[in-house]
Amino acid sequence: MRGIRIVILLAAAALLLSPFLAARPVQAPQGGGAGAVSATIAPPQGGGAGAASATIAPPQGGGAGAASATTATPQTAKIEAAPAAPAPAKKPAKKAPEKRTETIVPAFTGIKEQTAVYVFYAWLWLSIVVLIYFLRLWVRESDRVYHAKYYEPEESPRKANPLPQVLGD
Amino acid sequence: MKIDMKNVGAWFDDRLALTPIFKYMTKKEVPQHEHSIWYYTGSSILLFLAIQIVTGIMLALYYKPTLEGANDSVARIMTEMPLGWLVRSIHSWSATFMIAFVMIHLLAIWFTKSYRKPREATWMTGMMLLVVSMVFGFTGYLLPWDDLSLSATKVGTNIPNAIPVVGKWVTQFLRGGDDVTGDTLTRFFLFHVCILPLVIFAVMAVHILLVQKEGMSVPLEAEIKKKKVPSLPFWPNFILREVMIWLVLLGTLMTVALVFAPSLGPSADLMSPAPAGVKPEWYFLFLFQTLKIFPGNMGPVTGEFVAVVLILLAVVAIFFLPFIDNKPEGKKGKIINYLGVLGVIYAIVFSIWSLL
Repeated sequence: MRGIRIVILLAAAALLLSPFLAARPVQAPQGGGAGAVSATIAPPQGGGAGAASATIAPPQGGGAGAASATTATPQTAKIEAAPAAPAPAKKPAKKAPEKRTETIVPAFTGIKEQTAVYVFYAWLWLSIVVLIYFLRLWVRESDRVYHAKYYEPEESPRKANPLPQVLGD
Repeated sequence: MKIDMKNVGAWFDDRLALTPIFKYMTKKEVPQHEHSIWYYTGSSILLFLAIQIVTGIMLALYYKPTLEGANDSVARIMTEMPLGWLVRSIHSWSATFMIAFVMIHLLAIWFTKSYRKPREATWMTGMMLLVVSMVFGFTGYLLPWDDLSLSATKVGTNIPNAIPVVGKWVTQFLRGGDDVTGDTLTRFFLFHVCILPLVIFAVMAVHILLVQKEGMSVPLEAEIKKKKVPSLPFWPNFILREVMIWLVLLGTLMTVALVFAPSLGPSADLMSPAPAGVKPEWYFLFLFQTLKIFPGNMGPVTGEFVAVVLILLAVVAIFFLPFIDNKPEGKKGKIINYLGVLGVIYAIVFSIWSLL
């Protein structure tokens, strides 16, 4: 039982300390709104998570609009073929994505996510402590029932208890 | 229409034969003695495996096992997917915890000599599970496809090359060619998500079946003296204690995954030289250092060949340990215990040396 008490104490300590242990830089979303990707990127030589952090911006003009600008539909092909029509301005070729050279260091995408994670962790540890408390009681009771040989018909104190017979057990 | 749940329950019970299983669980007893704590390591491995399956499926939804897409897809998981970096971290750390617990479980069985008759096959399937777990780690290490993982895989897949006759073929089979390429990545992904899970489930099923068949072992002294060891019912007394341990391990894993989430390097360049300080995962460090200390040439053969043969012999000897240690209560049993202690010290010292 002493060991279990130590486990409960350790779990409670971990619960209290986890937000401080997990302190990591939070990137404020920079003009990207909900779609902005804000992982902290550290250069290979920059040790800590906070060193020279940058923000990966979403593709400029991305989304459905960007896709339609570069995709030739059958209709646009027809217009290009017509001699009377003015030649459409040459669309810039789709740029190949640049090769990333930095290391991605995991980080929260915003204060909302950070708070959500910390609240979840607090709830997790609290649930663990509460569950262990009740499981410990259950274990104690199970052991007591077993050592009393409650379910062994020969020696069980149940013999004197008429209730199971009344209930048809 | 009213559904009678009692009938539904009876239908499932009839088709799946649940009553005999529950009856078995209530009848099954677990010995209680000073080494009982080690019984819990086995079920903890199952917990970590379950976590790995769940997080692995989540990662596989976005992962692309191609040369162009692998690193970018992991970067996408880490930066675009909600809490993707945390899911990846939990997957990675649960692998570490699982292998650590497999090793602790194996050592506990070694020192309590639970592999003795009639549990030889249980030990052998357990050894197979350790090897499969390590191969899981090895194949998973390449999947992020950064410089470090590429170089470590090059070193790892080059090791079988030292074995005469079949070595070259094994290396080519692992790499899907002469060098580590996109084909290796696809191959490793296939091993990691398809072949190895099938193998681990099959071997684990046999292992658990054998554990149920033979029951939990009692301490050697109690068996020699024919002393009756007190026991507890598996259900609910033992399983409730297991649940408590699972909860603490789950919380610890989640916290470690949050605090020490792994980063991701830039995409590997097949043409670039290996970066300095390439290291495999922690559970391969002592083997890596062992290979490094052997000289280039040792007479007619290479040093690497001698090292590989010695490692293979050690693995084979450990696999057949129950037959080598056929009198665990005698002098031979004591020597094998000392060898186990030496092996643990060797692995720790060489792992630290490798990191220096």
